[in-house]
Amino acid sequence: MNVHQVLSGAGPYDAVTNEALDFRARFTEWGWGGRDVAAALDPRMDGRVAPLTALAPAQHDVLLIHYSAYAPRVRRVLELPCRKLLLSHNITPARWLWAHEPMTAVQCAVGRSQLPDFVSACDAFAADSAFNAGELREAGAGEVTVLPVLIDPARLGPPAAGEPSRPTTLLFVGRLMPHKRQDEVIRALTLYAREHDPHARLVLVGEPLTARYAAELHQLADAIAPGAVRFERSLSSAELAARYREAHAFVCLSEHEGFCIPVLEALHFGVPVVARPAGAVPEVAGDAALLVADEDPAVVAELIHLAVSDAALRAELRRRGAARVAAYGPERTEAALRSLLESLQ
Amino acid sequence: MTSPEEALALARERAAAARARGGYADDFARFAIDPVDAVTLEHLLEWAVVEPDLSELRSTRRYGAPITFVKRLLYRALRQYHGQVLAQQARFNIQLAVFVGQLADRVERLERRHER
Repeated sequence: MNVHQVLSGAGPYDAVTNEALDFRARFTEWGWGGRDVAAALDPRMDGRVAPLTALAPAQHDVLLIHYSAYAPRVRRVLELPCRKLLLSHNITPARWLWAHEPMTAVQCAVGRSQLPDFVSACDAFAADSAFNAGELREAGAGEVTVLPVLIDPARLGPPAAGEPSRPTTLLFVGRLMPHKRQDEVIRALTLYAREHDPHARLVLVGEPLTARYAAELHQLADAIAPGAVRFERSLSSAELAARYREAHAFVCLSEHEGFCIPVLEALHFGVPVVARPAGAVPEVAGDAALLVADEDPAVVAELIHLAVSDAALRAELRRRGAARVAAYGPERTEAALRSLLESLQ
Repeated sequence: MTSPEEALALARERAAAARARGGYADDFARFAIDPVDAVTLEHLLEWAVVEPDLSELRSTRRYGAPITFVKRLLYRALRQYHGQVLAQQARFNIQLAVFVGQLADRVERLERRHER
């Protein structure tokens, strides 16, 4: 059996690309062939994903289309006579991007509006969360299989043996984008530091949407929390693992998440999670995170204080977090993916 | 011990108590980076002047330093030409943004007159 994966874009720090590469490793284990192609390629991919023009499937091959962004050339793939599985990773609503990156906003707006066309041209549907599956159904898909992101946080290594050392460190991992609300995390840190721990610091890990947006966040941090916020990007797996091990709490105030892998990674490392219940976050974190929908940043700061200072609460969150990570073990996704693709053969 | 289910209520209680004794007095609302459903005239005017970010003129390949050097060399060699293109584009963009602003004002005035 040959399964070809089609991506709108491929890059080394892109979650969808990483999942496609993980899928390919499984396909190879199962003795399946095929190749992975993308409409836009980051040169750092070093040939692991081919350009879209390299796609030449036979009629009985299966296409797995990862839908995560608008790419005009990907649309042509819909005309191929193969059977197609559409896997929706969700596209960020454009309203978060108009003021910062209008070109990306246009791509998001068009990508979301074209989802029904993709749905009508595909034979089977999957989404990496129930939240994304709901959006796919709204676009006209009938039966949608939930395929949680194929992730094994243990690949980053084991959690730290004991509690992290001082100063109190808050962490968020995710692209520097407006809907991820790093600005709110910076404000929460500032309030927490003023009320509870003046030495507290925040580490924000992620590739910036644009240099200009990154500069806006730097300016905000310099204005209200000078010296307390560290921005990092392009970290290796070992460096990322070290950031989780050094963190006292993981704070995710994102307003839109199709899955949110970093929440699962934080749970794996036993880092208490304080999060806004947006998108797929409540589904992924379950009862293992402190969810806060309140707009009042003081409530967020107090919740962070509890997550950092209440040892019994930390222990209980760790226990629940380990169970949550186990529930997202790769076996479930592998079995569902294999069965779905075999049904298309 | 505070259970995860009790934590939010306790945090709200503590935040209210802290506020009552003068805590959390700082208002950082003006630092919010909120979403916008429509681009404003201020945004259009800001974007009208095209200012490419030269730090983006680079190669991300593993041995990309020489490629970055050549790209920047080409940019310098063609700076006069690019300057003309950008100036013409900026002139058009600014005039268009101003024109849109004037139109918006006229529509607003007409709407107000119509309401009266």
